[in-house]
Amino acid sequence: MPLLHAKDLWFSYGETPAIDGLTLTLEPGQFVSLIGPNGSGKSTLLRILLGRLHCRGLIQWEGREIRAWPRRELARLIAYLPQSPASETDQTVGDALRLGRAPYWGLFGLESAADEKVVRSVAELLELSSLLDRRLDELSGGQRQRVFVGRCLAQQPKVLLLDEPNTYLDLKHQFELYAMLRRLAREQAIAILAASHDVNLAGAFADEMVVLAKGKIAAIGPPIEVLRADLLEDVYGLPMESIPRTGGPPLVAPKSF
Amino acid sequence: MRRWNLSQLIGTIALSVAIWAVVAAGCLLVGSTGVYWPTVQELTLRREPVLVASLVGAALGAAGCAYQAVLRNPLADPYLLGASSGAALAAYVWRLPMLGGLLTAPGTLGVIFAEAGQEAFAFFGALGAIVIVLAVAAARLRGRLEPVTLLLVGVIVNAVNGSIYLLLIAIHKDNPGGGGEASLLIGGIRLVTHLQLCVAAGLAAVGAIVLFFLSGKLSVAVLGDDEIESLGVNVHRLRWAALSGASLATAAAVAVSGPIAFVGLICPHIARRLVGSDQRRLLPAATAAGAILLVLADAVSRLLAWQNLLGTQLQVGILTGLLGGPFFLFLLKDKKI
Repeated sequence: MPLLHAKDLWFSYGETPAIDGLTLTLEPGQFVSLIGPNGSGKSTLLRILLGRLHCRGLIQWEGREIRAWPRRELARLIAYLPQSPASETDQTVGDALRLGRAPYWGLFGLESAADEKVVRSVAELLELSSLLDRRLDELSGGQRQRVFVGRCLAQQPKVLLLDEPNTYLDLKHQFELYAMLRRLAREQAIAILAASHDVNLAGAFADEMVVLAKGKIAAIGPPIEVLRADLLEDVYGLPMESIPRTGGPPLVAPKSF
Repeated sequence: MRRWNLSQLIGTIALSVAIWAVVAAGCLLVGSTGVYWPTVQELTLRREPVLVASLVGAALGAAGCAYQAVLRNPLADPYLLGASSGAALAAYVWRLPMLGGLLTAPGTLGVIFAEAGQEAFAFFGALGAIVIVLAVAAARLRGRLEPVTLLLVGVIVNAVNGSIYLLLIAIHKDNPGGGGEASLLIGGIRLVTHLQLCVAAGLAAVGAIVLFFLSGKLSVAVLGDDEIESLGVNVHRLRWAALSGASLATAAAVAVSGPIAFVGLICPHIARRLVGSDQRRLLPAATAAGAILLVLADAVSRLLAWQNLLGTQLQVGILTGLLGGPFFLFLLKDKKI
């Protein structure tokens, strides 16, 4: 039984469908990259899978219909990182990370010893241990993004739904974030579905790529099959060229003028 | 970083109560006739304003804290959703001559009416205004409450209430008995009957308990809607519950004292400086800060009366406005809000 079984999803904000007959599965430990132009339905799909948008079709998490999941239990299964995560500027790193434990808190928000342990190990994993008492507005963009990823990991989820997690990050931090995500998928068997605009970064780390165009899956498969100039040319409407590279899928970039 | 466990919860509440008790005891020494150890008789006299001020301040502190979290706005205060203007309007209505007749109405009706008094009117006025705001805001979005809509509807309802108030004053030029029109717009620590104090305390306690119960969820409420839900919290149910609790406490407070400026706005910010932004710590701290601040303000107004600097006892609402405004600007200047 797959972790996620989504079949024939259909959703629209108005007349034109935003998600149009989409079928997708997700296995434990699988790192899937979601690419496609603006408005192709990436964010919409993530919010549907999170249960925030109700659509036609079937969504099963661990074999159970999404609406049958109690909110708190679903929060222990799925963690979600939006495009621009909200935070209070005077919040400390420690307080922000602890919010990820909210699905486990008792009455009055009381924390167990396990809650504290998880937060500390997440902080260690993301190299945030020395920053726990710093305020979020004193951090660099890269550090802040690590905190938000950490908040997700503190939920101890089996699935991470990430909406452009590499925004605000410089090249090195983007690379490190994706390398860490792949490590999480490998070592902790967390399934990851991450929307991104950087096709080459996504291709370098993901096990599988899903290309969305107008709410439909235009292509799906391992990066080496998906990162083709002709395919992405159609999807993005821009002349593309593919540059072969040793030890990985080719780089795909707009043709130089 | 300390784990928020049961001993932290109890410790925080105990410490808050202890600090309030010390300040309140100190304020018992301050009377409008001087600062000295009171006689037993004076103690009973001075105890009342201290208790009323504590109740009103605590309710405003807790409610302000919850409003700021739920509305995701550091400038939100407990009167934002219509409580103050609704209370003032209803209290004024109670003073109108046509209703004055009811006081002398025969039988139980007159007795109930006289006993409940202006405070009961103010309470239901405050509650009524908030219910209208919540209902209008929710009707727009099929039962959901969005912070921006709430703020907008709250501002409008406050403005309409204010206009009705002025309209009534214009019609009944020579009416309102005692204190003049402005007295209902600026709150103060007035003496209320024992029954009124107990009822108000009970209602405020119910509201505050609801908020304390929700404090874990309130600490998540500062995030975006999708994030709140993805952390297992039903965002709209939380908003309904927290706003109901906070509004009940606010209505109870404003019924007893009238609108007292800035306490509900400032206390959460003061508490934030001391214990950080997590609502589980912030809520008890802001509640205590509210009680302490208002007890102090009340003592200062008694001191001013003793020295006869102004020739009259200053309404606490004027004092909190005078001191609270500049203090808030000072906090803003610091850019750490």
